[in-house]
This record gives sequence, structure tokens and C-alpha cells, in this order.
Amino acid sequence: MLNTSYVGRSLPATEPVAISADSVSRFAHALGLSDTAAVPPTYLISLTLPAADPLIADPEFGLDWSKVLHRDQRFVYHRELRAGDEVSCVPTVESIKTVAGSDLLSLRTEVRSSGETVAEVWTTLFVAGDAA
Amino acid sequence: MSDFTEFEAGQVVFATSFPVSREDLVAYADASGDHNPIHLDEAAAKAAGLPDVIAHGMFTMGLVSRAVLEWLDASGRDANLTDFSAKFAKPVVVPAGVTVNVDVEAKVRKSDADSVELTISVRSGADKVLAPARATFTLR
Repeated sequence: MLNTSYVGRSLPATEPVAISADSVSRFAHALGLSDTAAVPPTYLISLTLPAADPLIADPEFGLDWSKVLHRDQRFVYHRELRAGDEVSCVPTVESIKTVAGSDLLSLRTEVRSSGETVAEVWTTLFVAGDAA
Repeated sequence: MSDFTEFEAGQVVFATSFPVSREDLVAYADASGDHNPIHLDEAAAKAAGLPDVIAHGMFTMGLVSRAVLEWLDASGRDANLTDFSAKFAKPVVVPAGVTVNVDVEAKVRKSDADSVELTISVRSGADKVLAPARATFTLR
């Protein structure tokens, strides 16, 4: 079971990193998208999930990654991102709902660039309980 | 013609199909950094209670992003994807040595002059994979 006292808690912003042209190109190629400098819509998941690593590493939180299924995903884009843009992620534990001994964990990650929020990314994970 | 007023709720705007093989999942794992073995290795998938290797949900969602972007491009409108979501209902099972089809169909959910929201159904065989996906385009 997850530690529900973490609801509302945000992790410190990740160090800003420049989105490399090479990583954008490889991501676009893997999906058959035309290869331009525009960051593919789902590319942000490759930044937002690693940004939540401290939660996985935190024994107090109790998240066992081997019991996780991806349930829901949403991206809201406030501005188009291009290769070369520097971004930083701020993950927040938005909610934890317990259903029949398993948890539904919703994370909301703000993606920031040059001081503004350029995207919001919601990831809902189903975390199977011990009996499941 | 450059806005979205011509679209009506319920109208099917495109249907397309993507072939998916194990090689595609390897390429996506490398590009995305998601190396969970249930997407790459049959033994690991079966140990996790799955029938076989399954595609990353985010790979399937990525194919949907490609489908809607290609549709927008062909429509000639200058718009941004502003909201994109999916609920992962069932996995896309990808056995070794074969190609499975991921079938994508998009309908208009609602539209006005400035924006259009699509509801996208995604199937693999008889299974509804995404339940459903939604994409909103907003004119620049």
C-alpha cells in the first residue's frame, strides 16, 4: 500500500536539461513520425517518468515498480517544444485512491521551460496490492 | 476552410492501421528509455501473468499521435495539439515473428471555429486497446 500522506507533495524541480536533437529524432523515428525539430507529443513521458524516480527510491512511499500498470495518460500542451529547449520537471502526487486493496496513483508533472509551464502531464498508475 | 467549422460531432475523419512487430518494440524501448522486459522478453511477460510480450501503452499512444498529426497535416490546417489523453484498457499482444495490426479510427467529439476534439478508438484484433483516446487541436 502506498503512503497516502504523500498526497499533495511535490518533488524538487529536476535540473534543467536541453532536449537533444538526437533524442527527438530517435523518438520520432521509433513511432514513424516525420523527423523535425518539433518534440513528439508523447516524448515528454521520457522526461516525466524518470523525474518521479525519487518516489520509487523512497521506501517511505512504498511504490513497488514491479506491481505497476499504466492506466491513464494525459498531456496538456501550453506551448510547442523544440529540440534544444531546456526543460525541468516538477512531479506532484495528485491523488491516491485505494480500490479493493490496490492503489490508483495519479502523478501530475509540470514541465517548465524558461520559467513558464509549457506542459502538464498526468500519469495514473495501477499499483497491485499484495493480494492481487 | 482553414478553421474547424465544417466538422460535425460523430463524423468519422480517418481510419488507419499500423503494423507492429517485436522489432518496433525494441526500437521504442531504446528511444524512450522504457526497458521493462514485459515489452521485450516472452519469459518476463509470462512471469508477469501476461499471455506474451505486450506493446508499451505509450508506444500505442505514440502511434495514435502519429495518426492524428498526419490527419491534421493532410487537412491543411495550422493548429497545435493542445490536449491528448488515453486510457489503457487492454494490452496489444505481440507474439514473436508476426506482425499485429493496431487499427485506429477517429471521430469528431465536438468542434467549433477554433478547435476540434477527436475521440479515437484503437483496436488490436477484437480488443479495444484504448478506451478511448482523445485529442484536441487548437488553431494557432
